Amino acid sequence: MDLKAVPIAFCLNGRPVSTSIDGDLRAIDLLREGFGLTGVKEGCGRGECGACTILLDGRPVNACLLLAAKLDGCEVLTIEGLASPEGTLHPLQSAFLEAGAVQCGFCTPGMILAAKSLLDTCPDPSEEEIARALSGNFCRCTGYSKIIKAVRLAAQEIMR
Amino acid sequence: MTVPFRTIGQPVGKIDGVELVTGRARYTADLQFPGTLQAVARRAGVAAGLLRHLNVEEARRSPGVALVLIPADLPGPNLIGILPPFDQPLLAGPEIRHEGDSLALVVAETQEQAEAAASLIVAEIEPFPPILDPEEALHAEARKIHPNGNLTFAKQLLKGDVEAGFAQSEVIVEDAYRTSVQDHAYLEPEAVLAVPESDGRLTVYASCQSPFHLRGHIAVNTGLPASRVKVVQPFVGGSFGGKDDAVTEMGSLAGAAALKLGRPVRIVHSRKDSFLGSHARHAAIIHLKTGAMRDGTIIARQAEILLDGGAYASESPFVVMKALIHVAGPYKIPHLRVDCRAVYTNKRQAGAMRGFGVPQVTFASESQIDALARELGLDRWELRRRNALTVGEANATSQVFHESVGLVETLERVKEEGDWPACLERAHAADNPRFKRGVGLAAMMQGISNGAEGVDVVGASVQVSQDGSVLVGLGLTELGQGSRTAMAQIAAEILGVSLEKISVRQVDTDTVHDSGPTVASRTTTVGGKAVWMAAQAVRTSLLEMAGLMLKAPAEAIELGLDRAYLRENQEAQIPLAQVATAAYWTGFPLMNLAFSRAPDAQYDHETHQGQIYIAYNYGTHLMEVEVDTWTGKVRVLRHLASHDVGKAINPLGVEGQVEGASLMGLGFAHLEEVLEENGKIRNANFADYQIPSFAERLPTRFLPVEEATSNGPFGAKGIGEPPLAGAAAAFANAVSDALGISFRRLPITPQRILEALEG
Repeated sequence: MDLKAVPIAFCLNGRPVSTSIDGDLRAIDLLREGFGLTGVKEGCGRGECGACTILLDGRPVNACLLLAAKLDGCEVLTIEGLASPEGTLHPLQSAFLEAGAVQCGFCTPGMILAAKSLLDTCPDPSEEEIARALSGNFCRCTGYSKIIKAVRLAAQEIMR
Repeated sequence: MTVPFRTIGQPVGKIDGVELVTGRARYTADLQFPGTLQAVARRAGVAAGLLRHLNVEEARRSPGVALVLIPADLPGPNLIGILPPFDQPLLAGPEIRHEGDSLALVVAETQEQAEAAASLIVAEIEPFPPILDPEEALHAEARKIHPNGNLTFAKQLLKGDVEAGFAQSEVIVEDAYRTSVQDHAYLEPEAVLAVPESDGRLTVYASCQSPFHLRGHIAVNTGLPASRVKVVQPFVGGSFGGKDDAVTEMGSLAGAAALKLGRPVRIVHSRKDSFLGSHARHAAIIHLKTGAMRDGTIIARQAEILLDGGAYASESPFVVMKALIHVAGPYKIPHLRVDCRAVYTNKRQAGAMRGFGVPQVTFASESQIDALARELGLDRWELRRRNALTVGEANATSQVFHESVGLVETLERVKEEGDWPACLERAHAADNPRFKRGVGLAAMMQGISNGAEGVDVVGASVQVSQDGSVLVGLGLTELGQGSRTAMAQIAAEILGVSLEKISVRQVDTDTVHDSGPTVASRTTTVGGKAVWMAAQAVRTSLLEMAGLMLKAPAEAIELGLDRAYLRENQEAQIPLAQVATAAYWTGFPLMNLAFSRAPDAQYDHETHQGQIYIAYNYGTHLMEVEVDTWTGKVRVLRHLASHDVGKAINPLGVEGQVEGASLMGLGFAHLEEVLEENGKIRNANFADYQIPSFAERLPTRFLPVEEATSNGPFGAKGIGEPPLAGAAAAFANAVSDALGISFRRLPITPQRILEALEG
């Protein structure tokens, strides 16, 4: 018998949601299984790879290390909420495609969200600033250069 | 009549890119079916021993458990592998051969319940002293890990008369080189989901790269005919060779459990499971001896290569062949003798990994070329150039190519862009007591396609709908490398259709011909050829129909920009959708299933002399590094990578492969090593096993060379693997150059640099 002990309410991709959860449920599991947001990827389960990065009140966090209860009262953004409701891609999403910054795509949701958090606070980051801000996100396919290029491209597009 | 290419050679974004950047792309672990159960394997946890008793009773009674699958539950032979006789059990026992051996599969309502129950399984194992050293494994008195002994596979390459070659040589250099175990470390861990269907068939969704191989093994091990098994490949989060055997094991177990329970069963590896239960790169010990004349002409080379294959054979036989053939490097050496062996040890099994034996031997070969240059007092670039293979010359297997040998061009481009040899002086002039600079070169080649590894066939389908849109199917898989996009470009070019109108579907074994594994950098070359053929057949229909409509012979028609038009008068045009619709109503075929077959390898199996690969990718890398002699840290200041790719179908994709493979090469040469203690892996996570991060990114500059091969579509040759070996070898030579110390073991970690500096 599941004991759904903790009631929580938060804003998920722009919509208010509420639910009851087990106190030890991880945020990644609630988002993936409870809300079907499978763009939140699990690569290591230990906060080492960044694939599960979500934005919590605008800051990147590893959803695999976060208790779902901690989402209570927060604004949560996953990759599914980044494009406009009409489906227009965010400049980061377009730039990742244009620059060839996506190969297998498994790191991409976390990478894009970490980059969004950076651009929200630092609209014109240098290559080094990008590399530092995204250092918690691994990519095994691209070699990273095109990801940096994509973030620069998106920054220019947003500033225009 | 030549029409300029419209999409071939254009840099284009991935056609499946929108799904990937929006989170809509579904990977295997993302799929949901009602009633899905989760499963985890109980692993041996002991490197070697005899399983005396397996008690699963408590696990069976544990909450949520639906099934604990043990060997007796498996209807099939409980064996998988690449080459018969297969030697890897799905569920091991009584012999335990490595710590990751699965003993039982626990299936429960939730992952937590499955894990909890797995921990309740009691395995009484009488431990053996594990055999961990590949040289020790070959001792006559060593315990036999498999009934036929510990030698998995051995092959020899003989060309010319190596003794005479060394007798004639004026200078001989000789050394031993070692490389370590590298993990694939794709971000998506292996995953499968087996769904029993209402019609008695079984569908297995799998994060895999060889769906047909998987289908065959699932069928045999579940007792179903292969035609009742369907393998579907959803999006895959990287593979690099790794999602072959490991996923075969998982798919077979999940399939057996799902059939037994009549419910979907999912297995998703944790990162630790991925380290313990998948296949890694072979560690190698390479004894290498090279003889040359004073002028730098290489006369003879002898190599003994020992590959640590771990507990099971897997791809070892083919990795043996690839290492055997490539240890001579991209050089014309008249006298060769190579002995290459793979052995069993009580470690995690080695299998396919990007490069497939080539990175190991390229490191040894290119290190020795530098040693030879030092010995001869010759410029390192000149020595490579002097011995470089060109068109019309015999390579290590005496195969002679009359086209598409672009090695010298890659050497020239790197020399020019790198300003060799002036860059050497500049680098060393920047030295100071703490930071030392160095420049390394590496030349390499890598055989494209299966070659000696067996028949090389690929099926593809091209289907044009009445609205002028196109559906392409291919038996090889998209793993992130961009194959769907390249296939779409090929079809778009031939059919004159814009890229947006092309869909390339995921592999589903029901819908396309068995095309073998997605390996050996063969997708663009052999797979692309199949798409090319199928598209050409449909093109013929469209041209004939358009000819009837425009009242002109088919030869006078061209297709482009989603229309058919007269070559001589482009005003005379019809939208392709109208042509396709008319073709349908006229009864012209709008679909074709093509089957491309690369020329078979033909060679002497004793000496490995003959026609082995349909083409080679050639490359030259230059790396300039700065070594911090206080910390052992290395900064790569410059990286030039030139490869002969035949024809870049999608330059953006090619560049991505070069950059990504090069960084994986840096990982191999500098950072990555699976460490074990008494046969137990002690860094099975990303905190302790270091893959390159943003901080280690390379300033790669790709210098393309395009020497077309007639065996690939539009001349294209594969590029997915080769840069890894080039970057790794260039890194090793650069660090050696910076410090004046020869490093003969990879990875050259900061720790090993400090140790070497201390003498």
